[in-house]
Amino acid sequence: MIVVTTNEIPGRSIREVVGVVRGNAVRGAHLGRDVSAFFKNLVGGEIEEYTKLLAESREQSLDRMVAEAQARGADAVVNVRFATSQIAAGAAEFLAYGTAVKLA
Amino acid sequence: MNREPTKEQLAAMAYADGELDDAARAEFEQLMATRPDLAREVAQLQRLELLSRQVAGPEPKDTEWERLSHDHVQRAGGNVGLGLLALGSLGLIVWCVLATLAGGLSPLGKASLLGLLAGSLLLLFSAVRARLRTRPFDPYTEVKR
Repeated sequence: MIVVTTNEIPGRSIREVVGVVRGNAVRGAHLGRDVSAFFKNLVGGEIEEYTKLLAESREQSLDRMVAEAQARGADAVVNVRFATSQIAAGAAEFLAYGTAVKLA
Repeated sequence: MNREPTKEQLAAMAYADGELDDAARAEFEQLMATRPDLAREVAQLQRLELLSRQVAGPEPKDTEWERLSHDHVQRAGGNVGLGLLALGSLGLIVWCVLATLAGGLSPLGKASLLGLLAGSLLLLFSAVRARLRTRPFDPYTEVKR
């Protein structure tokens, strides 16, 4: 499955647009991580607990988007975008969406 | 020693890579529901795929994070600190509940407080139980950044 942020795929032509596909994930850090992150926030620098949390949500939402594209028989997803929002403190929501297409 | 993958392992690889058609995928998911070992194998393959997607040159600070994670003082500070914090919080909750129950609270107030406490503990138990069940099949716990 080709996943790109561009509207087109160089060297390939789009035969059919399947439609919008998306995947979202909301993940939380456990209490221990939140406590560690709180203290790291006091002194500055990277809070790797939250870096990891966001990365987990990003990968999961991306996989869910690809799974939907595969289920709908697409060959690629173009114009992929990510969006985030805050559902609750200490939780990370990621939404990945794009246009599923069939290639010639 | 035969190192050739079995038919089920090949199916697990195809499933993890999203190469199965709808019918084959549904059939494999049915099989996986009755075979936790197969589900674990799929989760492992998905972790590998995730890690390979994240392959990038290490940042200079990665070695420092690694060194810190093995540092005894750092580890002891974190573990003992978290342990004391958890014990202190638990003790404070128990003390508050006991003090409230011993005070002049009406029977309805006491029953409400106990209900609140019991409900919270049950919800916590359910959440922990669900997490322990699903964690082995959650490949995203391996994601670094």
